[in-house]
Amino acid sequence: MKSVAQFLFTGARLSAAIRLGSAATLAAMALATTPAQAAPGSTEPEESGVRTLEAPKASWVFIQRGFVLPGTAVYDTATGKYVAQVETPLLGDMAIDPEGKHYYVAETTWTRRLHGTRQDFISVYDASTLKLEGDIDIPGRILVGGREHNFIVSDDAKTAYVYNFSPVSTVNIVDLAKRKFVRSFELPGCADLILNPGVGLAALCSDGSMASINLAGGKTEITRTEPFFSATADPVFDNVQYDKAKGEVVMMTYTGLIYTAKLGAKPTVGTPFSIQEAAGLRKGDTKPLDVNWYPGGGQPMALHRASGHLYVLMHAGEYWTHKDGGKEIWDVDLAKHKVVKRMSVSGDPGAINVTQGASPMLTTVGEGEGEGTGAGLPGTLHVIDPATGAVMHSVPRAGSGLLQVAG
Amino acid sequence: MTIFNADSFGEKVLRRFAGGTSRRGMLARIGVALVAAPAFPLLPVSRADAAKPDRSPEAKTVFARQAQTSDDTKCTYWRYCAIDGSLCTCCGGGVHSCPPGAEPSPVSWVGTCINPDDGKAYLIAYRDCCGKSFCGKCNCNGEDRETQLYTQQLNNDIIWCFGTKSMEYHCSTAVLVGAA
Repeated sequence: MKSVAQFLFTGARLSAAIRLGSAATLAAMALATTPAQAAPGSTEPEESGVRTLEAPKASWVFIQRGFVLPGTAVYDTATGKYVAQVETPLLGDMAIDPEGKHYYVAETTWTRRLHGTRQDFISVYDASTLKLEGDIDIPGRILVGGREHNFIVSDDAKTAYVYNFSPVSTVNIVDLAKRKFVRSFELPGCADLILNPGVGLAALCSDGSMASINLAGGKTEITRTEPFFSATADPVFDNVQYDKAKGEVVMMTYTGLIYTAKLGAKPTVGTPFSIQEAAGLRKGDTKPLDVNWYPGGGQPMALHRASGHLYVLMHAGEYWTHKDGGKEIWDVDLAKHKVVKRMSVSGDPGAINVTQGASPMLTTVGEGEGEGTGAGLPGTLHVIDPATGAVMHSVPRAGSGLLQVAG
Repeated sequence: MTIFNADSFGEKVLRRFAGGTSRRGMLARIGVALVAAPAFPLLPVSRADAAKPDRSPEAKTVFARQAQTSDDTKCTYWRYCAIDGSLCTCCGGGVHSCPPGAEPSPVSWVGTCINPDDGKAYLIAYRDCCGKSFCGKCNCNGEDRETQLYTQQLNNDIIWCFGTKSMEYHCSTAVLVGAA
């Protein structure tokens, strides 16, 4: 930059040829912030620039790169191409602004790398430039990563909720418009924050119930449904699916029971059905030596909300294999209680998501080869057409999940 | 001051009891008790005996059936039935000791694992060693009775470095607490 500036300053005394060169340099600088690129074969002098990004597209998938590699990579499922990286740390949680203007990242650091004063905050990134606009201090957050329900943003984009475990179970409320921490409240025995329109939040609890958390008018009223599952014998996966339009949440247990609950001040939980029975098989059981198909993974299911199809990573084996990666994806029609398709999948994926457009694409990812299981190394991202089961794109070393989508 | 007279007290109780009951009534009550007995819980001793856990191969999880007691650097080592992370035994530490420079977390998640040598279940505290970067060696992902975030003490994904100077996760140990 310095040499260019000198050129421009002294340009009046330079020959016409050099002035022409300067003009070209100026033009290059003007172009530098636009996406336009010189042809690969160009030999013209150039300047550095920075590209911008479109608003989050329905075809994009956001993939955490793993336990050992920071960053959330963005791929377009339509092309399989890498788009950009949202800056997230290890164990960070990202939330996409429902209005598409920002990416929020809940993160934790210490003033002296691994020691010193702990700092918890939400980084606010502009969705177009991916530049840091600022950060919001919060009192704390759970360090676990790989979960969707520890950091969520309200449907009106105004409020963020951050789950904290210190090891006291609490929730932080953050005003995103004012970019300010508002307050926190204790949530004993419950976790997995779910938006609860018109009420505040819902959560899953260790007595097998669902909590409804009324936050209207600055109060905190926590009530619970009757217990409907066993948190120790047949737990509901953290990875519950929230459906704003229907005001519902879809849940699945380790044995493969699928529950739908209507959210509200008093959530009502419907009668579950067995995913195995929906596929014409024997119901899943907790007994050892009962070999069956079971759901598994850290993010084992994804709901395509408009069509009411639930896609579940399934593997054959015994009970207490709920972290095992999938060998098949089961396509469940929730309204009909039917598994309408079974698709084989490679790479033992532990995470699945589905884009929410009219022609959805499934994305799966498993862990990369490492020393043992749970090493958190990046594995292959697959983009699969749920209509045919065909693998449309495969991206090696893309990440290990979480997988998130916009919309 | 009246001194308590046990004889007098016993006599009063028995007389009151005898006055309020007939032999036929007693027999009827004993009969009812005999018939109803099976419907009531047994004495604690009998209950404990009846609830003795089944440790037959058919009652064990897939992990417990394959567990071994000889090599604590393998995921199949019996105490690792619900561990998650790098084994400290591969990272310069031991099964219940942290590698040099790391600090054990005073709190932990727990598991109940069966020792294949004696067939007994033991409570295992999976204490993370903290304050150093992720070791990354010998990673295991135990699943026996491991649950989700709303039952934190049984979840092994959480970074359990609480009460330590640093919350940076290095590796995990499996400390035997006692018989389960």
